Amino acid sequence: MGDRLTQLQDAVDQLANQFIASFYYIERHHDLETFGPNDKIPDLKPEQMQQQVDTLPAEEFQAGQLELARDLITKEQQIEYLISSLPGLDNSERDQEQSIRDLEEEIGVAEAQRLEAVKEKDEVLAKLDQVLRAIRRH
Amino acid sequence: MTEVEQDPSKVTALYPDPPPFWKAFTADNIAQFDTFKQQYAARQGLDVNTILRIPDIPEDLTYLQPPAEPEDAKWKVFNEPQSLDHQLQSLEAAGIQRLASEDQLAGRHMDRAFELKRIAKSMLLNFLELIGLMGHNMHHAMDKVEDLRVLFLNFHHYLNEYRPHQAREQLIQLMQDQLDAKRAETAAIRAVTDKAKRALEGLGSMDIPPAEPEASEDQRRAVVAAASAAASGLVQAPAALNLMHNAKEEGLYWARESDGWSILDGEYA
Repeated sequence: MGDRLTQLQDAVDQLANQFIASFYYIERHHDLETFGPNDKIPDLKPEQMQQQVDTLPAEEFQAGQLELARDLITKEQQIEYLISSLPGLDNSERDQEQSIRDLEEEIGVAEAQRLEAVKEKDEVLAKLDQVLRAIRRH
Repeated sequence: MTEVEQDPSKVTALYPDPPPFWKAFTADNIAQFDTFKQQYAARQGLDVNTILRIPDIPEDLTYLQPPAEPEDAKWKVFNEPQSLDHQLQSLEAAGIQRLASEDQLAGRHMDRAFELKRIAKSMLLNFLELIGLMGHNMHHAMDKVEDLRVLFLNFHHYLNEYRPHQAREQLIQLMQDQLDAKRAETAAIRAVTDKAKRALEGLGSMDIPPAEPEASEDQRRAVVAAASAAASGLVQAPAALNLMHNAKEEGLYWARESDGWSILDGEYA
């Protein structure tokens, strides 16, 4: 799992794949119709027919279409959700630079405080050591 | 297999010869190069380890240092031009129609998100149109496919333009985490220090009697143990926490102890 942008890119690529899959499904499983009086459905053997079009029963074909369409919508919603959750949509480049500078400063201050605390800790440790040694001497 | 053994030139021909400059890396040359480096460092007043290249080096030592950076920031790898500044190829340069104008995207990134959503919706619509066209007029379908292609390419392009923004955003996140970690560490150290200080004050408020034969071995041991417990609390916060629930008992113990010692002190005075 990558960052948001990569996720979004993957989602869009998946959408493209779904387009192709849906297209292929319809192309492969539609039934045959005549549009005009001149059209003729070629009289082929079932095996030959199968190679070109694998007609599914109308109901099954409908259900398949419905499922694919639903998947497409779901993917679309996923993409839109990912877009809305892209990091830092409200910040302009200048805002970002400002907050980076602010953070840099704050980190400096925090580091100074930390060093101070460490120093104090060392002092107390030394004092404790002294006391301990004093006790041991007795 | 036997054929290969009979003709060793075939095997050696599998790999090209090593580059000619491998011969330059003799122990003598390396030592000489090191002296040059140190001399140069001494002259310029630099740290030896930071020097990458030395100017004016004898001919036979040139291979011992890395080549200079390309002056115009361009070079070739496997005959493909490379450049130091990686620029995102613009849509126009790639010959693809741009769907949103530059200034539409220049502003806040909300607009970019809006644009992305629009493209995403357009993709669905165009796919629907494509399927419809396939049913009615296949000859126009190619145009639709082209439209879809442009939409997808535009979408990816806008996303890639967003990358630097996300990188900055991640940097901010990292810095924030670092800041929080530092503050937490400081607070933890302070807490332990304060605890140790209180323990010290507790020890300081009573006088430790001089060594006396009557003082039982047990008593002394108890003092040492308590003190070392406080000391270990300084370095190990969890251990200090474990001691916390003993604090009450400890307090009583100390009260008893100091009572006992004040009597002893009185005797000594």
